[in-house]
Amino acid sequence: MMETTVTPATALAERVAQAVNQAGSCSVLDARQSLAKAALESLEYPTTRNERWKYTRVAKLRDLRPASASSPSNIPPVLADFNAHRLTFVDGQYQGGDVVNESGVFIGPLSKAAQLQDDRIKALDQDYFADNEWFAALQAAAPQDGACILIPDGQRTERPILVHHHLTAGDVVAQPQHVMVVGEHAHAEVILWTTCDDQATGLMNGALTADVAKHGHLSLEIVQDEQGSSHHIAHQQFRQAESSRLTVRTATARAHWLRNDLHIHQGGQHGHSTFHGCYLPSGNTFVDHHTRIDHAEPDGHSDELYKGLAADTATAVFNGKIMVHKDAQRIEAYQRNANLLLGERSGVYSKPELEIYADDVRCSHGCTIGQFDAEALFYLRSRGMTETKARNLMVQAFLSEVLDGFRPEIQQHVEQVYAERLGWN
Amino acid sequence: MLKIVNLHARIGDTEILKGLTLELGAGKVHAIMGPNGSGKSTLASILAGRDEYEVTEGSITFEGVDLLELDATERAVAGIFLAFQYPVEIPGVSNINFLRTAINSIREQREEAPLSGKDFLAKVKACAQLVELDGKLRDRSVNEGFSGGEKKRNEIFQMAMLEPKLAVLDETDSGLDIDALRIVSHGVNSMRDPNRSFLVITHYQRLLDHIVPDHVHVLAGGRIVHSGGKELALELEKKGYDWILDAQAEKA
Repeated sequence: MMETTVTPATALAERVAQAVNQAGSCSVLDARQSLAKAALESLEYPTTRNERWKYTRVAKLRDLRPASASSPSNIPPVLADFNAHRLTFVDGQYQGGDVVNESGVFIGPLSKAAQLQDDRIKALDQDYFADNEWFAALQAAAPQDGACILIPDGQRTERPILVHHHLTAGDVVAQPQHVMVVGEHAHAEVILWTTCDDQATGLMNGALTADVAKHGHLSLEIVQDEQGSSHHIAHQQFRQAESSRLTVRTATARAHWLRNDLHIHQGGQHGHSTFHGCYLPSGNTFVDHHTRIDHAEPDGHSDELYKGLAADTATAVFNGKIMVHKDAQRIEAYQRNANLLLGERSGVYSKPELEIYADDVRCSHGCTIGQFDAEALFYLRSRGMTETKARNLMVQAFLSEVLDGFRPEIQQHVEQVYAERLGWN
Repeated sequence: MLKIVNLHARIGDTEILKGLTLELGAGKVHAIMGPNGSGKSTLASILAGRDEYEVTEGSITFEGVDLLELDATERAVAGIFLAFQYPVEIPGVSNINFLRTAINSIREQREEAPLSGKDFLAKVKACAQLVELDGKLRDRSVNEGFSGGEKKRNEIFQMAMLEPKLAVLDETDSGLDIDALRIVSHGVNSMRDPNRSFLVITHYQRLLDHIVPDHVHVLAGGRIVHSGGKELALELEKKGYDWILDAQAEKA
């Protein structure tokens, strides 16, 4: 008789699936879920021997014993006076908000869209990450409720849609699934905001899948303002059709341990993608941005800019891959990553990866890691600024290239969090 | 107002100032001239509180306060302003935001109320006019992409905004064409006041045609070796420094 050994990773997957089922899962496409389960068995749990996880340690996570969620209390308010269409989720469960379901527009929880059997959610059928990444497969095998935003051809959202997900205290696991489908010539503005309780120690393993049809436009602002000491892995994938436009801005305002996996696939000619991000880990925290853009068709444009600072003993990771497919000619792809080290024991690992299989393209990349300009600091102080004010102004200036792209309410919030965290207020 | 006695200073192992003594009264304009490497810019840097220099001997008192006890910020708050020889570019910080932050930081440390937005803008307008700085430069990032002349005009603009008691101009005339020289000098002259002193460091007499000093000092080998009235500048322009240095050598 053969003895079956259960690896620690398989055991974790089972514990997570069980916790999710207990709390409430959101099964949308059975076939997809089966594929994810199969992938989970064949994929290896990531270790630092894996190039994509070289600086991103998840060994400790393997021991996580998910607890059942505490009752949601003190959910922090998000942009209180901001006029938006709001949807709130707690630990992968729909909490409330303004559901819209009229003339083809659906804005609400994914669970409701599934009940209505809206065909557009089949966008979830293709899942690049779940086929290739252990944690993404873990999420797709046991997904939970998230926002579903479906905008039909030619329509646009009147107000920005603010999706807020909150993770509660303790070893809670949340695996929300967000879906966004923007029709031809349609336009959606979405803010995705995540928070965690200051006693949160669990795992937030969420996914976002978005399709933008011909001439469609999706503008997404992601704000990660998370207290506590939870782990957060975000799988974000975007597919763009011909002449579509995508803007993704990510501000990691505060996080204990966070990995953003972002994948953009330009599957039609004349696609346009802008993806910017900023981060400022301090203390002993960790922020990792892994991005990949596939230019599969000609005449596409992409503009990638990530800027950040690492203070104290914190670590920041940036890895940006640009893939220009065979015969995808006349691509213009620009990537830049700039970092400042604020702490003597802080670290930044930055790596651009360009793979180009077409001969008529313009691609550029640049990575810098530097320190505060001492001469500039002296200049500011010689004008009467305290060291604190001078440093604050320089951080603000450094990040402004990224933060200026957000709407002012978000920019202000993120700048304030950064100033507070560095003790610069 | 400013009293420097027997100042010795070095950077690393190199001694640059070797017993410099200088006294500056309120409302006076003193010019410091001297050959390259004599320590002129070192003096300016030390007055502004640059950390790289180590003062090994001597004292600097400003209005009775030991200046060497104050850091760069505190000196600005006390009323000292340095117009940089090489103004620093700070991308991402607008000139206006930079000045507002600086002025209100100084006022806060002096326990004064912040300047209202209206008063601040009125002041910006007046000071910008003084040095003919147009709106575009005011709104752009600090010194970023400015020409040499624009940078120096921006220094004088900042000086006018901050209204220091003592302004140290470190080779403000270097890199200026005749028009810019006239504008910068006009800015400085309009700031002359019985309660404000200037220390003008320059290589050339040309600037002193426009900003007429009360006293001219020659700095050589880390010390003031000769002092005189405004006519000394003309004499230096004609005869160079050698006659003074030779006379010094003879004395020694």
